Amino acid sequence: MNVAVKSIQKILLTMLLALAIGALFILFIGENPLEAYGALLRGAFNGKLKIGTTLASFTPLLLTSCAFAVAAKAGAFNVGVEGEVFLGGITAAYIGINWTFLPAPVLMIVCFLGAMTVAALWALIPAVLKAYYRVSEVCVTILMNSVALYITSYLVSGPMSAGVANAQSLPVTVNLPQFMKPSSVNAGLFIALITVVFMIWVLNKTTFGYKVKTVGTNPSHAEYVGISPKKIFIQSMMLSGALGGMAGCIEVLGVHGYFLNNFAAGLGSNGMLASLIVKNNLIFAPFMSFFLAVLKSGAMGMQQSTGVPKSIVDTITAVFIIVATMELLFQFKDKKNKKEKSK
Amino acid sequence: MDLGKIFSVSLIYATFRSATPIIYAALCAAITQQADILNIGTEGIMLTGAFAAVAVSYLTGSWLLGVVVAMIAGLIMAMIMAVGHIRYKAEICAIGMGINLFALAITKFLLNSALGKSGTFSEPGIIAIPRVSLPFLAKVPFLKEIFDNWCITEWFVIVLIILVWFVFYKTVWGLRLRAVGQFPMAAQTAGINVNSMKYRAIAISGLIGGLAGAHLSLGYSKMFTENMTNARGFMGVAAMYFGGAHPILTAAGCLVFGLTDSIGARLQAYGVPSQLVLLMPYVVTIATLAVSMASKMAREKKKKSALAKA
Repeated sequence: MNVAVKSIQKILLTMLLALAIGALFILFIGENPLEAYGALLRGAFNGKLKIGTTLASFTPLLLTSCAFAVAAKAGAFNVGVEGEVFLGGITAAYIGINWTFLPAPVLMIVCFLGAMTVAALWALIPAVLKAYYRVSEVCVTILMNSVALYITSYLVSGPMSAGVANAQSLPVTVNLPQFMKPSSVNAGLFIALITVVFMIWVLNKTTFGYKVKTVGTNPSHAEYVGISPKKIFIQSMMLSGALGGMAGCIEVLGVHGYFLNNFAAGLGSNGMLASLIVKNNLIFAPFMSFFLAVLKSGAMGMQQSTGVPKSIVDTITAVFIIVATMELLFQFKDKKNKKEKSK
Repeated sequence: MDLGKIFSVSLIYATFRSATPIIYAALCAAITQQADILNIGTEGIMLTGAFAAVAVSYLTGSWLLGVVVAMIAGLIMAMIMAVGHIRYKAEICAIGMGINLFALAITKFLLNSALGKSGTFSEPGIIAIPRVSLPFLAKVPFLKEIFDNWCITEWFVIVLIILVWFVFYKTVWGLRLRAVGQFPMAAQTAGINVNSMKYRAIAISGLIGGLAGAHLSLGYSKMFTENMTNARGFMGVAAMYFGGAHPILTAAGCLVFGLTDSIGARLQAYGVPSQLVLLMPYVVTIATLAVSMASKMAREKKKKSALAKA
């Protein structure tokens, strides 16, 4: 428990430091940081629409942060979640538009399955390259994000285009029900929450989860006790891809109702941020996702009511991540304690 | 489709032109790689450099000052990464991605707040890096088309490749750097300060990364756009892997991407959808990377089996 308290402490300290550095930037452009942060909170929580919008941007982050963490547990640095969200989205859109011969509830499930399968197969490419040929998965997944973006962009402006000015597909025939209208928060939120809880269970209580964690912490040991590190690595990458695909499917069926070009920009990287900040801890990741969602959705309100551009929010989260990755930053107190103990 | 029009003499310069920013980025990644540090932050360092170069060139009217400030900006970003990684034991991939996201955000923020623009910054006041015209080539048919009117930083990249190669393989410093990368314990025993070596490698990498950005925004183009590096930093890292951090092989790898890019640009005139053209360099990068790593592994296996027989 002590460990958990300490890591929460560290996260909170990091958060304060990031907000303080953000405040410096705001002072630098001659605005009042407290006012800006106040406007940010109002922008995220003031009224039903705003709370709904915050929850709607929370939904995909839940899944993408979980996706990143699952891959990280097996030792993979999967930056490709964003590409997986795009491909999951386009698959869901394709099935949702064209396979209307299926009854609606079945069609909905097929959309999810299709999105998750395609995204998992997409993640299979870097996984195999890494496992068998030691090609850096960071490099490959980042480049594949661009490929996924261009493929989907081509599809919605060419073969799957709705023929309107914006590059987007036709509307899908099934939708996840939205509650709290007029915001776009939808039943996907619950699907995402259940999925995250399920993933926590899988990683902590099943043999597969144990294997994944063993491979992530010590591949040689895993091999020694008869777990194939390559196989587990690939499986967890595919699982990560499937979660990304699910996020894309929810965005298309729940939020937009069609595939909008470039809709997932930042979803993958913010999920990665949320997961990295809490050291890929699946239980903390949802809270961090929520914090990032608040920042994101409050940013617009802040920009409108104060003169602070919303890009400050990205700056703060980036500072946050840089500070959070520094393992030894807030350990000066520990050192003192240890010295005293040894005396 | 007229193949003669696609594969003409001007393709040679076009290839080199689109490869140059990637070559700079790859050299930036190669230096730290020799010290066994994977410089994922190349992209971010480059983007910061690109912004600093344009902003300073616009505000002061001097491209040289722009380039210098870009290099300093790159250095600062690199040092954040160095301190995080070496002093505070941050995981290099994590802090590298952090640097990239930070660069993306801070350049956007400064573009909005300091320059008052969003998206793109393209003013006539930006002074680009001058191009060199070679009058004595004016009458030589082929060479004129290939070598005339290069940007100064395009000539400089060739100098830099040779310089980096020389430093890596012909100087004591380079030997020490490689020793730190290959076997830090041995290097330490030999009296090399490993951490200081790593700091220096990252610092130089930052300077080159900043220059990469300056070339991208003031030499290759004459503007700044949000996320204008567009994964070129990562292509550089891929090329670095392809060349095994050897500067000359790495640069050769970059030319492959440059070639794809410029062939793609010409194909667009024949009605190939722009998105498919744009994704080609990425696919080629991934494919080359995969093939080169696979063949490297096969070579290593061969070496090992030869050892076992002996």
